[in-house]
This record gives sequence, structure tokens and C-alpha cells, in this order.
Amino acid sequence: MMFFKPKPLWGKQTRLKSNYDAVIIGGGLHALATAYYLARDHGLTNVAVIEKHYIGFGGAGRNTAIVRANQRTQYNVPFYKEALDLWPVLTKELNFNLMFNNCGNLNLMHSEAAMKAARMTIATAQFHGVESHLIDAKEAKEMVPALNISKDITFPIHGAMYHPPGGIVRHDAVVWGLAKGCARHGVEIHQQTEATAIHTQGSKVTGVSTSRGSIHTPRVLVSAGGYSAGIIYQMLGIKLPISVLTIQAMVTQPLKPLLNHVVSSGAYHCYANQTLKGEIATGAHMDPWPNYTTQNTAHYIKHQAESLSDWLPCLRGVRFMRIWGGLADMTPDMAPILDGNDPLDGFYMDCGWGYFGFKSCTAAGKYMAEYMATENCPGMLKPFNLRRYQNHQLMGETAALVSYTPDN
Amino acid sequence: MALTLTCPICGKRNGYEFRYGGEDKGPRPDENGLTPEDWCNYVHMNKCTAGVQKEWWFHRDGCGSWFSTYRDTIHNLEVDKPEDHQ
Repeated sequence: MMFFKPKPLWGKQTRLKSNYDAVIIGGGLHALATAYYLARDHGLTNVAVIEKHYIGFGGAGRNTAIVRANQRTQYNVPFYKEALDLWPVLTKELNFNLMFNNCGNLNLMHSEAAMKAARMTIATAQFHGVESHLIDAKEAKEMVPALNISKDITFPIHGAMYHPPGGIVRHDAVVWGLAKGCARHGVEIHQQTEATAIHTQGSKVTGVSTSRGSIHTPRVLVSAGGYSAGIIYQMLGIKLPISVLTIQAMVTQPLKPLLNHVVSSGAYHCYANQTLKGEIATGAHMDPWPNYTTQNTAHYIKHQAESLSDWLPCLRGVRFMRIWGGLADMTPDMAPILDGNDPLDGFYMDCGWGYFGFKSCTAAGKYMAEYMATENCPGMLKPFNLRRYQNHQLMGETAALVSYTPDN
Repeated sequence: MALTLTCPICGKRNGYEFRYGGEDKGPRPDENGLTPEDWCNYVHMNKCTAGVQKEWWFHRDGCGSWFSTYRDTIHNLEVDKPEDHQ
């Protein structure tokens, strides 16, 4: 079979039509999840997902696959809890193994101020029914024997926030599973199809131009991960409070099992988990200036090796095997922008996720679909509107633990 | 490719000596009659250009100058002022 024509995993490729009930720009997890729920829950099946490259090209395949629901504020925690609870549900529903490894997350604290901040974050989690505990350095060492709890390292470990419901999900499986789910419900996925313009008449969306022809549609969602803000400004002239930065990640050579949890440290700017293949997957530093390169830098590879081998000294001498970068679209309050019908009827946006795009995609898809189908903003999404910035109602997510260092 | 930036006082230096100061949005708006929307535009809103943009930099580990320059955000390289920029 030398000359076979490759067929997409999710079904037959169809021709791009000139009319859809909804068009979604972007073929990542938020886009696919929204399309899936539009078709499954709201009967909107005449939907096209328009992707410039291939589905999962962007953040969907570049994140470090960590899922958790121990954020800081009362708006974010219930949202991420629902997203987390959906992994086992979707695994069954999509009939596709998403490989949810419910290994739990351990967030290291390196000062008494950080321990105090952890207590507040844990109180918020517990109030919302999310399991989260404060543990001391000895307990952390019992859970992760490889951990260096000596006082003689750059940032000695005071304790940790332990969040058992979190873990790791195979991100590519989510892309493929959702794509199959979309196709089963009649959604069309068009790869190598670049959106070039969004058309409006008065204050209403009327269509989208693509590299494969024009489409009439009353609803457009821009859900293109780190590329969303640039697309929205370029096509509609709407500016967003977003900065797009490359975030870097890497994996070591495969090792025997030594890490049974996701372990992270805000002070070291470092997190690590061991994949089922045995590699230590670790990240992540964000570049200090906006860019779309998605390239790694020697500067941060060195930093990653130094910090990782400080708190996991058994990794000294281990080699990095693969490195990569993705885009993080950061907002000033570390919370996303989910909005619609303002300032244009029929225009929806789902962006500004920073480095929270993977762990949120299931719930974001579910609620954005409800928003687009009913034209009413679901209560869960109301706090995430764009106007909060001009109303000085920024969210308190910046007080999350990653900001706490021994200097606090 | 590593970033270098041209400080008006120190010349071409390693990018890690500098702190990024945001997109150049023109002069600070006049406070007389300033609306929350205009202030928000100035403080928070960005174009997120994939390409050449004019932006602010601070020579943090150097002379302390604030200056603006042009950078291509796709390749992360400082470039000359493009002809179509005012």
C-alpha cells in the first residue's frame, strides 16, 4: 500500500461548505470541546472547526498535561473543579482512553509567607469541596522520597500543598477523542484552512473568509489559544489585555519510577512529573518578553537543570532528551476572557488562558457551547467578561502560590 | 537566536540585561475627562502583533535608560524602523 491516501482518524474529510450555523476559529482543545458540546447538548451540528495547521498543533500538544483545581479565587475554583471532574466522564462518553493519571499534585512552599498563602488557598479549595491539604516538609519527603528537604539548598522546603484529585491527562488523546466525538455528531473539522477575515454588518457577525473560500455564519468563536489575541485585533480591531509569551518545557531520558506525583515549586519556577514512559516532564519558564517563536533558549534549559537538580538531586547528570515551547496568552489577573455578543452580536471569544488552557478545556467547551447556543452568558462564565478590566474588577488569581518566593 | 537590543547610551547589548516595558501606545492620556475605557486601553490593552512592533525597554542591568525600539515578535529580533510605521 504505497500510495494510500491518509484518512483522518475521526472520519471522512468533507468539502468546506459556504454556510454554517457556527464557525470556530482554532482547532485546539477549547475549539474541539466547544464544537463537541454544541452538537451533543444543543443540537447545533452544522458547525465547522477551522484550523490553520492541524488539530492539536498549538497549545493542545505543547502543554505539560497537568490538571488540577486548586486555584486561588472563588470564581476560578468551581470552574476548574468541573473541568477536572469531566475527565473520567469524557473518557467513557468519547469511548477513548484519555489516560487520566490521578496521581495528585504537590505544590512546594519555600517560606512561612508561602505556607500562609497555601493555607488560604486550601481554605478556598475546601470551601468549594475540592480536596486540598497542607503538609509539612517531612510528610512531603515521605510521599516523594527523592525530595531534598535539607536546609542547605537555594530555597529550602517548608512544606507543601497536597491536592489529591489532580494529576496528568494524555493531551493528544484528548485532541483525538474530542475530534472523533465531534465527527460522530456531524461537526466538520477543516485542517490546513486559515481564517483570514471575520465579516460584520452593522454590529452583527455575518461570515468568515478562509484560505479555502468564504463562509456565511451568524456565530463565530475565536478560540485559537495563544494566537487568539492577535487574530481578534487583526480581524476586528478589538484590543485585549493579553501578552503572548513563549513558555518552554522539556523531558529527560526515561528513568525507573521515582516520582508518583506532579511536584511543583513557584520559587524555583519549576514543575515535574514522571510520564508513563519514565521521562521526567518538566517546565516551565516563560520568556521575559512577548514573542511567537515557540523556541527554547539555552538560558532556561540551564536554569531548568539547575533548579530541578537542586530539589531532586538524584537527577544530577540526567540528560534532557526533547525540548519544546508553546504560547501562553497572559492576562494581568491570570484569569481568562470568556465573552460574547459584546461589542459584536454573534462574536465570541475564549482566550487569555495563560498556562491554564489545558486543565480548563472541558468546562470551557461546555459553557462556551451553552453561551453560543442560547446567546445568554452562563452564570459560571459571567465573572470572566472583558469589561472587568475597565471596571477595575480584576480577579485575585495573581495571589496564587506561584508568586510566593522566599522574598515575600 | 539570542535577543540583542540597542540601548541609546550603551549600544548593542544582550537582551537579558533589559526589562520589557510593553507595547508603545503613544503618550499617556490627559487626565482631564479621562474615561475608564480610555485608561484601560492605555494600561492593559495590547495589539499582540505577530510581526514588527514598537515597544518600550528599560536597561535594567545597565545605564537605566528607558527607550523604545522595534522588534519582530515572530523571530524575536530587533529590527530597523519599518517604512510603514509613523
